[in-house]
Amino acid sequence: MASGLSDLLSVSIDFETSHLFFPAIIHWLLAGLFALVLVLKVAPFLAAVKRGERTLPIFGESMDVMRFFGTLALIVAYFYLMAVVGDLFPYTGYGFLFVSMGFVLLMSLLYLHVWSRKNLIIVVVNAVVAPSLAWFVLAKLFTITLP
Amino acid sequence: MEFLSLFDLTFFLLAAFGTLVGVIFGAIPGMTATMAVAVCLPLTYALGLHHGLALLLGLYVGGISGGMVPAVLLNIPGTPSSITTTFDGYPMARKGQGEKALRICVIASLVGGLISALVLFLFAPVLANFSIKFSYVEKFLIILLALSVIASLSSSMLIGIFSGVIGIWLSLIGDYSISDGGNGHTRLMFDFMEPYLFEGFSLLPVLIGIFGVATILLEAEKGVKSDLTHERVKVSKSDGAGALAAFKGRFTNLTRSSFIGTFVGMLPGVGGSAASVLAYTQEKNLSRDTSQMGKGAPQGLIASESANNALTGGALIPLLSLGIPGDATTAVLIGAFTLQGIQVGPLFIPENTTTWYVMMTALVFANIVMFFLMFYAIKYIAKVVMVPKHILFPLIVMMCVVGAYAINYGIMFDVWTLLIFGVLGYLIQKIGLEVAPLIIGFILGSQAEVYFVKSLESFGTYTIFFTRSPIAMVLWALIAASVLFSIVIRLKARNKTTTQTP
Repeated sequence: MASGLSDLLSVSIDFETSHLFFPAIIHWLLAGLFALVLVLKVAPFLAAVKRGERTLPIFGESMDVMRFFGTLALIVAYFYLMAVVGDLFPYTGYGFLFVSMGFVLLMSLLYLHVWSRKNLIIVVVNAVVAPSLAWFVLAKLFTITLP
Repeated sequence: MEFLSLFDLTFFLLAAFGTLVGVIFGAIPGMTATMAVAVCLPLTYALGLHHGLALLLGLYVGGISGGMVPAVLLNIPGTPSSITTTFDGYPMARKGQGEKALRICVIASLVGGLISALVLFLFAPVLANFSIKFSYVEKFLIILLALSVIASLSSSMLIGIFSGVIGIWLSLIGDYSISDGGNGHTRLMFDFMEPYLFEGFSLLPVLIGIFGVATILLEAEKGVKSDLTHERVKVSKSDGAGALAAFKGRFTNLTRSSFIGTFVGMLPGVGGSAASVLAYTQEKNLSRDTSQMGKGAPQGLIASESANNALTGGALIPLLSLGIPGDATTAVLIGAFTLQGIQVGPLFIPENTTTWYVMMTALVFANIVMFFLMFYAIKYIAKVVMVPKHILFPLIVMMCVVGAYAINYGIMFDVWTLLIFGVLGYLIQKIGLEVAPLIIGFILGSQAEVYFVKSLESFGTYTIFFTRSPIAMVLWALIAASVLFSIVIRLKARNKTTTQTP
């Protein structure tokens, strides 16, 4: 019996497949925990949702749809265009500089609630000055690589 | 004393600048010390190690302290750790004692910060010296202990463990690195991902994404309301003497809370809110007169603020002696160290003694700068609470991009990593998983794999994890204790609620 137990606990790892050994354990662990979470947390929660006591996250909550998806869309466009413009002017950081100006301007406008003259002027000035300053300090003074 | 030659004016200016920026970040609700460190990381790329550390430690200390400003003046904790400061700070501000309350907080913060720095200075080398003898088996168990402590202190242990294991899983994406004795094969990915993910996700873009971009998304979802613009921040006049007088007879509270903060800081992944809440409740339990607590009692402020600033030194202890970050901000610091080519762990202090002294100096100096900045300039700092978010948020995203892009000298995929983990971080927080265990799991996951697999390769049996050494058994006992502790706490809480709701 004792030898049976030590056989069970002994292990040899083939070097060729050793990269899969630990992930396999983690997968089993994840699967087990996920099952527990489903049973102990998700199921009671869904039941509470059904009774109307709780609301589903994300779907059941009120959300500023325009600002949330606007943010996501702007970030995607920002990252994408930065690389594109950056390739036009390699090793200058202009991709970062120009695309950041546009991004900061649009995102500020997206988040701005009161479109007063004063607010708009601040937003525009900020969109020009802040990226320029960041670009100057980081790319020129500190010679950090920028797109 | 050779390290003295390393200090120049730039060093102190950077530490002071970092503290100022940190205070500003902390003072703006929704921005945290972690975010301050993450956003300012690109500045350190061009600085040397010691200058970079001065800046980062300043940011850390400032960021934790700054949270008191909106907590007292607006009843909004600027950082999660200043939540208990609102209990007594806001009532005081409404009574027209805003400046006095803030000055009490500042003094308490200074004491907390300095006590924890002292504990760090004395304790970290001892712990490092002890852990230097650890083999892979003990190192694996230390990581297991760290994760079980985090999980047991999460609001739900199951969710905590689950989040931690997800973090480990994410860290395994990529190759089983040859430099760690692996076979260099990739796993957990499709072939087309290999050019981008051969070495897995880079740590810093992941952290910046989770703490920077995700925060922006959470705010965007709520509509980025600048509901503060209509509130008037009013700091009434007071002199420093009134604040000092409030400490009379509060010495025990001050030291107790500082040590609680330091200790909680040492526990991996446990954030500042736990430290200040614990110190506050202890003061409530142990103090003779608690009738005024919650209505504007200086003792509450002292407990809360000394504990949350004591967190800084505490969180650095496991980082510098074991390589395990004590909280989210120190997790970002790990990234900054790696960037400078320094491996934190048991060998850090013996092999980098000068750096160690430099760090301590920066930490103490940052605390002192924080004190003078906030004690004398609190009125002006209070104004930054009003910086509109529509100006701030785009700039934060911009700085996140710089940080991610420059980290590996210009890899666009790192920028996309920001977005991936920004969205992931948003979803994690929405569905109720815990960020801290996930991050710690992510940071320690690949090391855990190496220690685990190498131990088994050398000994060929799972029993080695129990029988390798007495230390291993002690570690198992600690793991069991942390799990038991969590169960006991939960049972107690349940009994309390059942007796309260008959």
